[in-house]
Amino acid sequence: MRAARAAALLVLATAGLLAGCAKDSTAIMAAPLCQESPDGADNGVILMAQSVPTATWVPCISAALPLGWSFHHLDARNGVARFWLDSDRDGQKAVEVRLEESCDTAGSTEVPSDREEMTRLERVDRMSPAYAGERYYVFEGGCLTIVFSLDGDNAGEALALSSQVVGVLPRADLAAQVRHESGGRLSLDPPPGEGG
Amino acid sequence: MATLPPAVAATGTVARPDPPALRRVGRRRRPSGEPPPLPRHLNASGKWWLAASGLVVLVWVAVAVTGSASLFDAADTRILQAFAGIRSAPLTRVALIAGALATPIAVYLLWLANFAVLIVIRRWRHLFVWIGIGIVVVALGSTLLTVLQRPRPYEVELIGRWAGYSMPSLPITVLTAFLVSTLYSLVPAGRYRTIGKWAICGILVVTALSRLYLAQDHPTDIAAGAILGVAVPLAAFRMLTPNDVFPVTYRRGRTAHLDVTGIRGEAIIRALQDQLGLLATSVKPFNLEGSGGSTPLRIAVKGDPETHVFGKLYAATHVRSDRWYKLGRTLLYGRLEDEQPFHSVRRLVQYEDYVLRVLSDAGLPVAHPLGIVEITPEREYLLVNEFFEGAREIGEAEVEVDDAIIDQGLWAVRRMWEIGMAHRDIKPANLMVRHGTLFVIDTTFAEVPPSPWRQAVDLANMMLVLGLRTSAERVYARARRLFSDEEIAEAFAATRGLTMPSQLRRMLRQQGKDLHGDFLRLLPYRLPPVRIQLWSWRRVVLSIATLVGALLGFLVLISVLGQPL
Repeated sequence: MRAARAAALLVLATAGLLAGCAKDSTAIMAAPLCQESPDGADNGVILMAQSVPTATWVPCISAALPLGWSFHHLDARNGVARFWLDSDRDGQKAVEVRLEESCDTAGSTEVPSDREEMTRLERVDRMSPAYAGERYYVFEGGCLTIVFSLDGDNAGEALALSSQVVGVLPRADLAAQVRHESGGRLSLDPPPGEGG
Repeated sequence: MATLPPAVAATGTVARPDPPALRRVGRRRRPSGEPPPLPRHLNASGKWWLAASGLVVLVWVAVAVTGSASLFDAADTRILQAFAGIRSAPLTRVALIAGALATPIAVYLLWLANFAVLIVIRRWRHLFVWIGIGIVVVALGSTLLTVLQRPRPYEVELIGRWAGYSMPSLPITVLTAFLVSTLYSLVPAGRYRTIGKWAICGILVVTALSRLYLAQDHPTDIAAGAILGVAVPLAAFRMLTPNDVFPVTYRRGRTAHLDVTGIRGEAIIRALQDQLGLLATSVKPFNLEGSGGSTPLRIAVKGDPETHVFGKLYAATHVRSDRWYKLGRTLLYGRLEDEQPFHSVRRLVQYEDYVLRVLSDAGLPVAHPLGIVEITPEREYLLVNEFFEGAREIGEAEVEVDDAIIDQGLWAVRRMWEIGMAHRDIKPANLMVRHGTLFVIDTTFAEVPPSPWRQAVDLANMMLVLGLRTSAERVYARARRLFSDEEIAEAFAATRGLTMPSQLRRMLRQQGKDLHGDFLRLLPYRLPPVRIQLWSWRRVVLSIATLVGALLGFLVLISVLGQPL
């Protein structure tokens, strides 16, 4: 009986050590679409806005993902919101889209921005055997980081995808959506200066 | 039923004593609709919480259909704004500390601590229910978050940790479910559990106030989470580990034994009168340490003089134990022990009653069967038979084992062979002696018809038990009067190691002599040992299924041991 108890504890301990692989139960499996319905963006986008209350722009998915690409999941929590895109050629979580109040852009190079009111910076960590790097969009109250961790040998597709599929919505639009959906009763953010 | 072959007049057998004279009263048929002696029930509070859960679901549906979510959002927001109105730096620090129990690390520690404690105290059933609740509550909470997609509170600053959508509040759901599970798996019912409920209530109120102050959840998220977190474990523990069947106690004893005090004891007394016409005056556990497959009872019955009957209380849990036992035997021995498990406790009791009646009809020295009593339909039955007042185990030093006892034991095996049965558990604890008469008890594992191997094992085990108290030479000499050398040689070829009951093995070891070897030396010749490992397709399939099941169980364990939040 003592052996059985020891065996049970051993199994428990082993399982406990391996338990890190378990799925996060607050993960959101629906893609945060910029235009989920005629009324506006998906609730996931609003949740991302709540993650970073200072961000004046919020990322979202603006177009259908091309063949071979799929949405992994969205993780929105206090201080940071991230979502990942999977590729059948570049691997799982090949592209990470991250929204934070600020980000460390050391080592990156500023390039002409393709998004208004945002400064774009690029950093390449590795070109071979596969591409790894970050693209930053710095704007008022926030920073949008797109992290590339590609397994395939053609980085061009993923880099283009991030421009075509990852969109941004102004916070003001989301605030208007909340006000509209609540019949004018509620705002997305607390009144300025109140902090609650 | 075919007529049994007549009993041979073996040398040394004695007349089987008559059944005990019991005073009986008229039996009473339970009218349709009347509850059984011990009805299965979910307490009123359990029903209330399940109803509350149903109401929550109805409200969600109504809100979705009518598009009135904004009304709830507005009402919730006003409450949160009222809390935000009293915010201050010291209060915020207090609120952050007060909400610590709903943080992922605290919930994770609670989760693991319960696992470890339940394993150490070997409360396996509660542990499995705990794991099941963990899986169901987290999965249900996550699914609802995904379906309802409610953002965090608007128009108020959110302070502290939060993640994902807010309805229902997953930290509150999981924390509540874990606390209630802890209470129902570790705290004995009664005063301590009542105190525990109030303690949990206090913890949840403090945690909820903290989350409201910090605006991490809406009030309705917290209410829905708390209802879900109470209802699921409450229903699960009350249905799957009802307190009257699986009480949480810290007394020593096998968990297979049911508590026969309180309402179950009263139900047994009532049922004995209604169904068997026996006027029981007391029901007491008897020789619990000798039984793991049922709860043995000594029942005092009114009469002149007062007498006793023996009862074996079987519950659904014993059917599961039987299933696991048979699976284990099949995996260990394959074709030798290919047996079909019982699928209900009713069938198990019917079978044992039938076996006892066949043995009794054949004139074997077993207890006279008195009948089956239904306590809870399909869940608990009492098998009642004669109680051997004053009988002693054959292994006890005070018991005299003479040639007459040896002959009776050997004749019992011969008779079982003749009627096509095997006892399968011949050991000192199952052979009782009273006034020079040997009785065979505990026919739980008896088989009709058995494999020839099993019958041979019965003979060898009987000879070994009798030899323990006498000598191999004496038992062998008596055995040759009923069995041929070939039959005895086959018996000892079939019997070794694991095929002997553990009590018999232990007593042989304690005596320090090689009784098995002594018998082999007495035989004029030896037969090659019967192989124990016999493979069948059933054994192969069951072995593979068991391995796959164990692997899947391990993977599930990995998953559930992960951070629930």
